[in-house]
Amino acid sequence: MSSLADGNTMMNEQRREFIKKTALGVFAGLGAASGLVPAFSLEKTALPVWDEKPVPGKIRWGMLIDTRKCKEGCQQCVAACHHEHNVPAFKNRREEIRWSWKNSYKNVFPTADNAAASKEIQNRTFLSLCNHCADSPCTQICPTGATFKRWDGIVEIDYHRCVGCRFCMPACPYGSLSFNWQDPRTAIVDPVTVYPTRQQGVVEKCNFCSDRLIKGLQPACVEVCPEQALVFGDLNDPASDIRVLLESNVTMQRKPELGTKPSVFYII
Amino acid sequence: MEVMMKSRKLLWLVIFAAISLFAAFYLFRNGEAETPQKPLARVSVVDSTKCIAPKEFMRANHMQVLQGWERSVVRDGDRVHIASNGSRFQKSLGTCLGCHNNRLFCYNCHSYANVKPKCWNCHLSPMETP
Amino acid sequence: MIEKALKGNRSYWIWILFLGALVAYGLSAYYQQRWLGLTVTGMGREASWGMYTAQFTFLVGVAASAVMVSLLHQKELTKTVIIALFMAATATLMSILFAVADMGKPDRVLNIIFFPNLRSLFFWDLLFLSGYLATTITAGWAMLGAEKKGVPPPAWVKLLLNLSIPLAVGIFFATAFLFGGLPELSLWVTGVLALRFIASAFAAGMALLILVTLIVKKTTEFDTGKEARERLAMVATYAGVANVLLLGVQVFTTFYSNVPLLWFSLIAGVISVAILLIPASRQSQQWLVAGCTALVLSVWVDKSAGLLIGGELFPAPLGSIVTYAPTSTEMFVVAGIWSFGSLLFTALLKVVVAVKAEHKG
Repeated sequence: MSSLADGNTMMNEQRREFIKKTALGVFAGLGAASGLVPAFSLEKTALPVWDEKPVPGKIRWGMLIDTRKCKEGCQQCVAACHHEHNVPAFKNRREEIRWSWKNSYKNVFPTADNAAASKEIQNRTFLSLCNHCADSPCTQICPTGATFKRWDGIVEIDYHRCVGCRFCMPACPYGSLSFNWQDPRTAIVDPVTVYPTRQQGVVEKCNFCSDRLIKGLQPACVEVCPEQALVFGDLNDPASDIRVLLESNVTMQRKPELGTKPSVFYII
Repeated sequence: MEVMMKSRKLLWLVIFAAISLFAAFYLFRNGEAETPQKPLARVSVVDSTKCIAPKEFMRANHMQVLQGWERSVVRDGDRVHIASNGSRFQKSLGTCLGCHNNRLFCYNCHSYANVKPKCWNCHLSPMETP
Repeated sequence: MIEKALKGNRSYWIWILFLGALVAYGLSAYYQQRWLGLTVTGMGREASWGMYTAQFTFLVGVAASAVMVSLLHQKELTKTVIIALFMAATATLMSILFAVADMGKPDRVLNIIFFPNLRSLFFWDLLFLSGYLATTITAGWAMLGAEKKGVPPPAWVKLLLNLSIPLAVGIFFATAFLFGGLPELSLWVTGVLALRFIASAFAAGMALLILVTLIVKKTTEFDTGKEARERLAMVATYAGVANVLLLGVQVFTTFYSNVPLLWFSLIAGVISVAILLIPASRQSQQWLVAGCTALVLSVWVDKSAGLLIGGELFPAPLGSIVTYAPTSTEMFVVAGIWSFGSLLFTALLKVVVAVKAEHKG
């Protein structure tokens, strides 16, 4: 007997196409028309790649960023990430929300001795994102456990539970967390309907595209990078691409002396 | 004489309080609905044997079901719901709204009951998406 | 007994109305914050904590220090104990209110109780604060009730007072290490921070208590006694000296010297300690008031401007310098919570004074 989800997925692929072609009037207040479009692509989860309940600790997701391949001025990874997850675009620095961003060598590796690094490296931009640390300070300090470490190593924020105390923000040594100082829906440019937004008063950050991983897809930044500078995979699997590359290259982590054990590595 | 005056004042106070209470009760009774009416069966006819649970159970407990799903999916990664008859469903809002695809499905009952679910603060409600 | 707070002279009611007005303003400012979000405050990405957290820290210190009065076990202080307990209770309540005012989604505050993360010092801090509030207000009220009836307080009051001591220690260290446990904020990862936190809290708490008893003496006939104030002043002096020394060390060895308000805090601290050290000035009521006020202000500025701004911004986690200044909405909420606490404290003091007057007469 085919499961309900199968039939829905097929039907809604077609409907999704239709909807994409019509103008999306989302977030403009309560829609008055009903019945014009019988169904809607509402955060459809396809059948997950894994059907059973996951075993904690079996997989540990990690990312390797080959900064040598990163083209100056290219922001496609950040744009894809922010687009796919309805990340709002607040212009001013105070309220800016970012899941990933490009940063300078000095800011990404402030405790590494960069005086001797070549001019080229010092002028390079580096992708920064949540490091999904194995021993993260943000999960330790969260009073409600809203920021927590998943079975697969991803540090996830449970937006249903977050009280917005913002203790995780200064706790993170990498500045990976952003807070919704106001209603984010006013600042979302070109929203997608298959992923929710967040709300005023909660903290948010990169989730290693856990919503794409269950569909068997790579994270958005990895998929979209024109130079294929990003590699994503299971750090626990010795045969994975990322492990092979980690073993054959010298890599850096951000602020390793703090003992957070990040899952993101950089090839300089 | 003074006692008479005092009890007269008290009587007026009681009458005033009673009128205010009635007025408040009447004025605020309906909340957002203009006229009280039973929710019409405006949803498309759905085969409820295909649902995760019987209609009466869902009407009473859908909030607990959804909260349980949220906790189970987000915190344990357990995404598959197995109904009592053995069928498997994705623990997702999309599962429900895939069948109950009248965009006013949630609104119909919730506006009558005057209970605003907070789901739509983040999740995209059927009324917002085309 | 609470009905005693409803009887007062004109100045009492003017004070109550003034505080009430500030509370109303604070509530409307808070409503604006709930509606529009924390964007109405001056906080932002790199200054994610501000005035609310600063007040929280200051008041936790004041609340915990009040327990010293019951620890001292000196008969000169018997009249002061109830006032100290009520000061502890209202300061604790205010600090909890500031913590909640700082939250982005305070309607979910119960999540901290339903889903606590036992590794989180913030959870423990709030738990201890709630316990401390319960013990101090209950013990204080029971002692007052017993005094009204002219009988010694029931035995369980002693138990509650004993319980409040480890709770006070708990809120102290939870708050101090809450900030000290953040690896990135280099100024804070010093054992000195915890020590200075204790010293400044005791200094400010005792000084505030002295000022309160003096105000009570001026506005009513109730006098806790010169000897009592002398004892409190002794503690305040020792604590004040320790605080000034440690603050001085930090000013000269870290980035603190860049913050002008911190210099004010240091200078005010030195002056207040000087006044309190000299017996002649300590025993003169005018100088005592001046010294205590300067001490409270010094610690308050240190917590508000110094600890948070200095700690957060020099250096910021990503190496940039950001300025923070509270907005008017923020200040109205701060004033509102302070006024609410003062209102409560005033009412409680009124009851204390009335009961004491009755008992005497």
